[in-house]
Amino acid sequence: MNPNLLFIIPLLPLAAAVVNAVAGQFLPRRLSEGIAVGAVGFSTIATLLLWPLVDAEGVRAELYTWIASGDLRIPVEIVFDPLSASMTLMVVFVSTLIHLYAVGYMREERDYARFFALLNLFVFAMLTIVLADNLLLLFLGWEGVGFCSYALIGYWYREKKNADAGRKAFLVTRTGDVFLGIALLWLFSLTGTLSITGINQAAFDFGSGTLLLLTLLLLAGACGKSAQLPLMTWLPDAMAGPTPVSALIHAATMVTAGVYLLARLFPLVSLSSTGMAVIAAIGAASALYAASCAVAQREIKKVLAYSTMSQVGFMFLAIGVGAVGAAMFHLFTHAFFKALLFMGAGCAIHLTGENDIFRMGGLGRRAPLVFWTFLAGALCLAGAPLTSGFFSKDAILLATFAGGGVFQRILWGVAAATALLTVFYTFRLVYLVFAGSPRAAGEAHRLPGVMRWTLPPLAVLALAGGLLNLPVAWGGSGVLNSFLGRFAGREIHASHALEWGLAGLATLLFVLGWLLARLRYRPFPEERISPARDFLLRGWEADRLVSAVIVRPFTSLARILWQRGDRKGIDGFLEGTGHLLMAMGEGLRRATTGRLHSYLGGFAWGLIALLGWMLLRYAF
Amino acid sequence: MNLEPITFPWLTLLIVLPLLAAALSLVLRKHPVFSRWLALGITLAVLAITIGIFIVADGRGGWLLYEDYPWIASFGIRYTLGLDGISLLLVLLTAFTQVLAILISWHRKYQMAVFYSMLLFMEAGIMGVFLSLDLFLFYLFWEVMLIPMFFLIGVWGHERRVYAAVKFFIFTMAGSLLMLLAIIALYLLHGQQTGDYSFALAALKNTSIPPALEPWLYAAFVLAFAVKVPLVPLHTWLPDAHTEAPTAGSLDLAGLLLKTGLYGLIRIAFPLFPEMAAASLPLLAAFALFGIFYAAWIAYAQIDAKRLIAYSSVAHVGFMVLGLCAWNVTAMEGSILLMFSHGITTGALFLMMGMIHHRTESREIGRLGGIWGKAPVLSAFFLFFALASLGLPGLNNFVGEILILLGAFHANPLWGALAMGGVVFAAAYMLRLVQGVIWGPSEGRTEEITWTDLHPRELLILAPLAVLVLWIGLYPETFLAPIREPVRNLLEGASLVAMKGGLP
Repeated sequence: MNPNLLFIIPLLPLAAAVVNAVAGQFLPRRLSEGIAVGAVGFSTIATLLLWPLVDAEGVRAELYTWIASGDLRIPVEIVFDPLSASMTLMVVFVSTLIHLYAVGYMREERDYARFFALLNLFVFAMLTIVLADNLLLLFLGWEGVGFCSYALIGYWYREKKNADAGRKAFLVTRTGDVFLGIALLWLFSLTGTLSITGINQAAFDFGSGTLLLLTLLLLAGACGKSAQLPLMTWLPDAMAGPTPVSALIHAATMVTAGVYLLARLFPLVSLSSTGMAVIAAIGAASALYAASCAVAQREIKKVLAYSTMSQVGFMFLAIGVGAVGAAMFHLFTHAFFKALLFMGAGCAIHLTGENDIFRMGGLGRRAPLVFWTFLAGALCLAGAPLTSGFFSKDAILLATFAGGGVFQRILWGVAAATALLTVFYTFRLVYLVFAGSPRAAGEAHRLPGVMRWTLPPLAVLALAGGLLNLPVAWGGSGVLNSFLGRFAGREIHASHALEWGLAGLATLLFVLGWLLARLRYRPFPEERISPARDFLLRGWEADRLVSAVIVRPFTSLARILWQRGDRKGIDGFLEGTGHLLMAMGEGLRRATTGRLHSYLGGFAWGLIALLGWMLLRYAF
Repeated sequence: MNLEPITFPWLTLLIVLPLLAAALSLVLRKHPVFSRWLALGITLAVLAITIGIFIVADGRGGWLLYEDYPWIASFGIRYTLGLDGISLLLVLLTAFTQVLAILISWHRKYQMAVFYSMLLFMEAGIMGVFLSLDLFLFYLFWEVMLIPMFFLIGVWGHERRVYAAVKFFIFTMAGSLLMLLAIIALYLLHGQQTGDYSFALAALKNTSIPPALEPWLYAAFVLAFAVKVPLVPLHTWLPDAHTEAPTAGSLDLAGLLLKTGLYGLIRIAFPLFPEMAAASLPLLAAFALFGIFYAAWIAYAQIDAKRLIAYSSVAHVGFMVLGLCAWNVTAMEGSILLMFSHGITTGALFLMMGMIHHRTESREIGRLGGIWGKAPVLSAFFLFFALASLGLPGLNNFVGEILILLGAFHANPLWGALAMGGVVFAAAYMLRLVQGVIWGPSEGRTEEITWTDLHPRELLILAPLAVLVLWIGLYPETFLAPIREPVRNLLEGASLVAMKGGLP
């Protein structure tokens, strides 16, 4: 097979995006939707058809040279290796279901062309990140998803809140991009190439200080896109976008980009043990932080948003302890169940006309399909034994524990505590939304079939996703790990006894968390207001902190620079010089007009006189 | 060298055509419709010639076209024009921009013929600046382009037009008088040393300048160009001029006039004083870096959309100057490409603000907003150019910026790393502009008027700009190829004018 065919995978969504952006408004709605869904669907088929091309070294295809200048040459080149191929398949497959779902979700929206164009562009940008073999091309996708999230989160632009949320996502993630950008500049300066393969090979020659700094820069970039501490504040607000967008951001695109970046550059990153420790620590801290926030949230999508942040934290932790295979495993299972949960949440919002879980309730009987599929997703998120989430999370906990040192044990403790919190808030969500009697007062919508019927396939995948990488101890053979081969990171050495022991503990945590949530939320509780709850509800006041430390000083300094710097400072100085000359003129009884131009003119002539004098002195 | 025997004076034509049309327009100012079509026809003809040259040149190095005649023999003044890859890009930008300037001013009422005449005069002046290789000629054109701009702002501008015009005039005049003194000093020095009194750039390059005098002469040139660029803190004329100028004037200011300053640095100041230039680069870089943040920061605080874009220009030229200071191939090519790119995106943003102002009679961010719901096509274009301006990869500005950043980092890691931070600032002010103009609820002026989306003439203006944005963003090679050899020559300090240009 011709490797150039691989370009079909990203270019199909791009083409559809262009068609919808340019002509979508004039096309019949069905056609516009069909183009959008079809493009991603055919990308999925293309990925499957081209699957035989995958080889361990990676198949390359080059389209043309994007930029060439001096020693720099940036080809538009994609690489199809086990890591990028598996990621691609996940992205296009989950995106296809989300696109289908979006057709139902957005059916009353008039501005559908803009929506579908952006949705397709989003997938294209993500595929660029995944398939690029060049950091600058990856950066194109990287900033591309930033823009798409901006435009989609702010899709309902008429409300200022939504547009602001979009802008926040762009700015916060772009702050992360700057660090990735600096890493990119540095890497080029060091190696003279931006090819990821080349950089990974050259990394062995870097000094340890360089490696640490580069790892931290890459980590900062990854934190922005993946909403990890401290660049996480955009994700909860990103809920302002339509639900399919949330599903796309949280499952298939965007937040997983950071994990993927670190996995791609793992050969470089893994050379710095301090850097790895920081990655693991950031991951664990983000996981715990987000889980604690999720416990107090009231909006259904915000619970899920914080849960994403928390689960991505697990993936960072896995990368930090060297278990790239486990990170990718969790990334895939998470993609399935999180897409499922968001789509289920969208159905719940549709059915009740409510966002607030305290005003939902009783949906279990009204919409059994939604209930059962949502429950499937929730079980995976909570890590119920034998579901996909159980295996993938366990792999991470095991890898952390097996690391051996005190530091790893602490991280493991944090992760285990997070797992317990996860079970608790997941079942809190399930009970509040589906159990009890209906409390919704909002306007209910009928659920289009296309929204309901995209749920079951995902539910099956989510429940059975563990088979992707069933550990040897459970009778599996670690399919994903062996498929990833050299991309799977470090070998984890753990006895089967330890594996079974940790699995038992995970089961115990699951049961404990579930019972606690059941006790507290099965009978609908009165809301309790407490300062601690508010603190968690507002994400540990992170927004207030950012506003006080960054946003407000930035804004007021902008005004000060303008008024004091430009107006009073520079213009004032020039006018002052004018005044001075005028005063001298007064003394000489020279006519002065009193207008600005005469002052500035005076200044100019003064300068000229000075220079002329110098000239005369030296030249003649 | 690939000097062709004087065949047809194409370069002269680029200057003379607009000049004649400008004069004719003035004479026939009672016939505005005629002068309008004349202006369009002439600018289109000039554009056609430059495109023709661009295609024929096909990325060749050296002087693509060259003309040299004696002019005022008693003072050794010659009429020397030359076109290499760098000037080719800028000449192309000038020709293209001027067509748009005519088109956007299609329905101007007051003294229409004179207005077009001014635009044509300016085109002649700017072309002259980009083509002259004789310093006297260069200075002449440098002043010529100042005058029509003064009138464009002062006569056809917005509320505070007189203040802005005078401020513009005095700033640039002060700069250029310094340059004139320096030119004369060089002329005299060279004449005393060799007995050959000449203004030819190639000749003056070989002047040996007394070390005590050299910094002053260099400073005079750099100051003159830095005012035009403009480098912070010499920039305060720009926000006023850009804001108060009519749309065509803002377009020319941002797209072309700023580039003459940068071009002057590349073509004249650096080659004339190579040692001085090398020594001053870190200082210039510091100013450039300071300007990137300072201007971006102030842009963020603006209420007037045009003023915001004006300050964004100051931040962008900071990147360009930084690219020159890095003094390596990548950064220098990036700088020149960004000069071209910036003319397109910022020009487009000014054009679009003109279209919005024409409809709403407001430029205030607080009074606009929610335009997407009223005029989606217009808004989509606006978003597109704003994204290009904030440096989204795949669009034009990114290519220039990343080349500058890569080169600057290589020259000095701190420069590159700091400047990279500038992109967040760019996003901050650009998104604020986009937010204030097209998103949000439609209230204020947006709600009060009846909207028409883009009409065909406006689409005709914006579509080519959008094509160029994508073209440079996705396949910059077309525009990088012509500057490759000139940039290499410049950096290697190879004789700037390879032949005995301009010498009698």
